[in-house]
Amino acid sequence: MAEIIGGLGTSHVPSIAAAIDKGLADTAEWKPFFDGYLPARQWMLDHKPDIAVVIFNDHGNAFFLDKIPTLAVGVADSYPPIDEGWGPRALPDFAGARDFSWHLVDQLVENHFDPLVCRELEVDHGLQVPMELFFGRPEVWPVQVVPILVNTIQYPIPTPQRMWDLGRVLRGAIESWATHEKVVILGTGGLSHQLQGSRAGFINRQADRAWLAEIGPHPDKYLAMSREDYVEVFGSEGAELIMWLVMRGALSETVRTVHSHYCAPVSMTGAGMVILENAVAGS
Amino acid sequence: MPTPSVNSRASGDRLPETPLFDRNRALAGYALNKMANGLSKPANRQAFTDDEAAYLDRFALTPEQKTAVIARDWNEMMRLGGNLFYMLKISAVDPVAMTRIGAAQAGMEHDDFLRRRLGKTING
Repeated sequence: MAEIIGGLGTSHVPSIAAAIDKGLADTAEWKPFFDGYLPARQWMLDHKPDIAVVIFNDHGNAFFLDKIPTLAVGVADSYPPIDEGWGPRALPDFAGARDFSWHLVDQLVENHFDPLVCRELEVDHGLQVPMELFFGRPEVWPVQVVPILVNTIQYPIPTPQRMWDLGRVLRGAIESWATHEKVVILGTGGLSHQLQGSRAGFINRQADRAWLAEIGPHPDKYLAMSREDYVEVFGSEGAELIMWLVMRGALSETVRTVHSHYCAPVSMTGAGMVILENAVAGS
Repeated sequence: MPTPSVNSRASGDRLPETPLFDRNRALAGYALNKMANGLSKPANRQAFTDDEAAYLDRFALTPEQKTAVIARDWNEMMRLGGNLFYMLKISAVDPVAMTRIGAAQAGMEHDDFLRRRLGKTING
């Protein structure tokens, strides 16, 4: 059976992509941020996942407001990076895990989650940036991806509890896939930021650090929060953090926080990352 | 069709300084966001650069929305139902840093916004 080898949470701020493209990663402003991801890069090299299930939100790129899926899953062979308005980026396409993705769709619907199923999909910085942070800029990505897109732009967005439940179903779906492939779950978005309204620029460093420390051992605290609570504590766009609950929900009840990293501000965002592994029984 | 109110308090936001992209804003801003969404295509970026007013006239913007776009009045664009992720596509064609869009909405000078709102350390 396929195995979930861990879950990583990370910000997906687009200015990270711009910094890489402009060759700024080693500058004084950016180096501390990128250096914080070196343990995650090493973790990927050590654990060699075959497939990354990436939970992210589209930012008005693949989907316009004419059709907004609350939940969407890609089942393509390949996902090109999308032009968000700044021109195409020099990134390789992301190879899909087609049959595995269809299996996830089967299992989601069987368990009462009904996603939009995408045969063709271009992916924005929500998927691109986490992949670059964890795998650098290879000529060919070392993992296949399954994009899972959650609407966090147009209200109503889904509830935190629903995200957790989605994670639980994904876990069963992944573990019922009849191969020995290794799967990593990437929950993306956040941390605190607000890009709209006169509270723009809101960052909550204390809440961000608490999130990174507690999402492993105490996710229940974050399940109990309403969407409005997320907006108040983490800012209007910081509510993206609900997508980390999918990742956390897909892991065991007990996990080990292997590493975390925090840096603020990155553009207008509190940017962070965490690596979680399922606790081994008896340890 | 009456124009829905997009005032923060009138639309029922719990945090008055925090507009959520809810039904009222989605209704009010649809054409404005559709116009900006078009800028994802190179041909439309060129059309916008060549003759902005003519490009805007392809969409059913209100006069207020059109004025706000031409003035690059970010606060006003958002107030009139623009969603930041679409409005950013204007800033991709006519480059403006995200932090400047943030400062404009906060009603702060840019340096002041970086220091006091974002807590950024500014050298020199």
